[in-house]
Amino acid sequence: MDAVINGVYLVFSLEVFLVIILSAIFGIFVGAIPGLTATMAVALLVPITFYMDPTPAIAAIVTTSAMAIFAGDIPGTYLNIPGTPASAAYVSESYQLAKKGRAREALGINLICSVFGGIFGTIVLIITAQSLAEVALKFSAFEYFWLAILGLSCSIFISIGSKTKAFLSLLFGILLSTVGLDMMSGAPRFTFGIADLMGGINFIPVMIGMFALNELMNYYGSSSEKKNIAAMSKDNVFSKAKGHIKNHWINMLRGSTIGTLIGALPGAGADIAAWISYAVGKSRSRNKQEYGKGNIEGIMDASSANNSGISGAWVPALVFGIPGDSITAIVIGVLYMKGMNPGPTIFMDGSGLIYALFIVFIIANLMMLPIGYIAIKLSKIFIITPSRVLMPIILCFCIVGAFAINNSIIDIWLMLIVGFVAFLLVRNGFPMAPAILGLVLGKTVENNFMSAMMRTDGNFLGFFSRPISATLGVIVILIWLSPLIIKSFKWFYNTQNHKA
Amino acid sequence: MRDFLIGLTFIIAGCITIYVAQQFPTIQSLQYGPSLFPSLVGGGFCIGGLVLALNNYRNSKDSLQRIKLEKNKAYDWKSLLYSLLPAILIIFYILSIDYLGSLLTMSIMMFILMKVRKTSTISAISISAIMSFTIYYAFSQYLLVPLPQGDLFGEVKQWML
Repeated sequence: MDAVINGVYLVFSLEVFLVIILSAIFGIFVGAIPGLTATMAVALLVPITFYMDPTPAIAAIVTTSAMAIFAGDIPGTYLNIPGTPASAAYVSESYQLAKKGRAREALGINLICSVFGGIFGTIVLIITAQSLAEVALKFSAFEYFWLAILGLSCSIFISIGSKTKAFLSLLFGILLSTVGLDMMSGAPRFTFGIADLMGGINFIPVMIGMFALNELMNYYGSSSEKKNIAAMSKDNVFSKAKGHIKNHWINMLRGSTIGTLIGALPGAGADIAAWISYAVGKSRSRNKQEYGKGNIEGIMDASSANNSGISGAWVPALVFGIPGDSITAIVIGVLYMKGMNPGPTIFMDGSGLIYALFIVFIIANLMMLPIGYIAIKLSKIFIITPSRVLMPIILCFCIVGAFAINNSIIDIWLMLIVGFVAFLLVRNGFPMAPAILGLVLGKTVENNFMSAMMRTDGNFLGFFSRPISATLGVIVILIWLSPLIIKSFKWFYNTQNHKA
Repeated sequence: MRDFLIGLTFIIAGCITIYVAQQFPTIQSLQYGPSLFPSLVGGGFCIGGLVLALNNYRNSKDSLQRIKLEKNKAYDWKSLLYSLLPAILIIFYILSIDYLGSLLTMSIMMFILMKVRKTSTISAISISAIMSFTIYYAFSQYLLVPLPQGDLFGEVKQWML
């Protein structure tokens, strides 16, 4: 109980509230500008959180990510360009509504669904995290090894597009995680005599390179900056929301549930949650033919899913230290930086930080309602903000942000090299989420593997000697064999059909 | 074709990774040395690269027509060059901050990037000056990040005194 009270004390301060409000504005602004993603917003924020206390630092990240995901709907509605990838699934629905003069109505229902999804995901996080943490306390190196492998495997098999490319992207991340002194022998690896690399690759410049510099390079490579604004509507934001909620509350609930579950899977994230929820909603709808023409059901399904996915991704991140998406991958780095080691013991340190985090989640989602309302009213400002002015400013933030972590030029080089490689990979259809997970989980996999092998004197069967470890191992093997199983099943089914 | 080349690049990167990993010192008391994971990653690069290249080669018949069409289209080198501009400017920043200082270098970078996107000269100069000063001031005064002032600033200061 003391920890809960400590948590309340940590949050209810002027500093934290000021940080929440400023982060909300920053999140709305970045999310509403096409090309700037929620992950980029968080990556840009990290160098600043470096100088904050743990509670405001976490509050800043939670608020920014939640706001940016919602704000991605604003340019989606008016310009048919999703502000963040998480809004892409239902952009045609909201754009079609905007063309009919119902933009504010669409954004109003987007906002309510985002708040509902975010709070739903937070409640699931609060309920499940603590009980899961009690189970996780019994975990040893064997279980953590399999859990990390499970996370890495999911990041490949859930990713959209070529699985080979996702696999190579993951290996790129793992390779980055091997840089620095080896844990067991103390031998330097891939440091090339550079002292700054002995402690390993700094996480923040890599993030800035992967998500901010990569986007900047893409922006300057694209030629057009024309914006075709759908008719600006003057309708009321919430006037029809009550009716929509009454008729389609099941869509909100289903979207939030799917979003939380998908969000909790490592490597999935809010955008995949939105796509799956939209597809499920469409398949269950009585008005399938209305989809793509401005259907409010599609918006409700997917909009609640992407925000609940953000909260859901925190479950594995907090309980096991395994990120659910690229935002929580950054968060894990920040938590370590602030001395909060993600994992089951986070619930036992008595400082109340974990409860402060839960409270911040609820406040951030509730704050979305008034700030989002103002943002909808002022939508035009975000839409007319020229990217040609913002992008150069962001580049300077990237450079200074990367430098600020260690006051080292090496970090700027690191950001540049990783950003350049990420740009080439993304341009050729490689997903970036597996690379981030590889970087975050690479060390966990290696260290736990080495510890487990030392305990079993090199006997690999030790990984199957404990019940939870064996179960996780079997799940991982099944995931890896799933393409083969599906192919065999299809072949068997086809042969049976031919015989019949 | 592009995937074929990328596959080959990954195979080469995998071979280099394995070669470098083999140079790491091994300790006899440890069954698995520091080279294990990098070697596995290198092996993975080789296998993944090979799969990517082979898949592309297998589909090459289907894509032959597409390649012919692509050949007819001129590759957009201009857009590729523009996309490299932020990277080139970062190198410029690294090389020139010791002399020009962080504030001036950032202003120059912002100005160039704004002009590339056809911002009016007055707006580009004023926005880049105000924003670079704001970033410089916020980071050096509030967050106490030692952003270099530059030798040029010192020389000008001396000359003025």
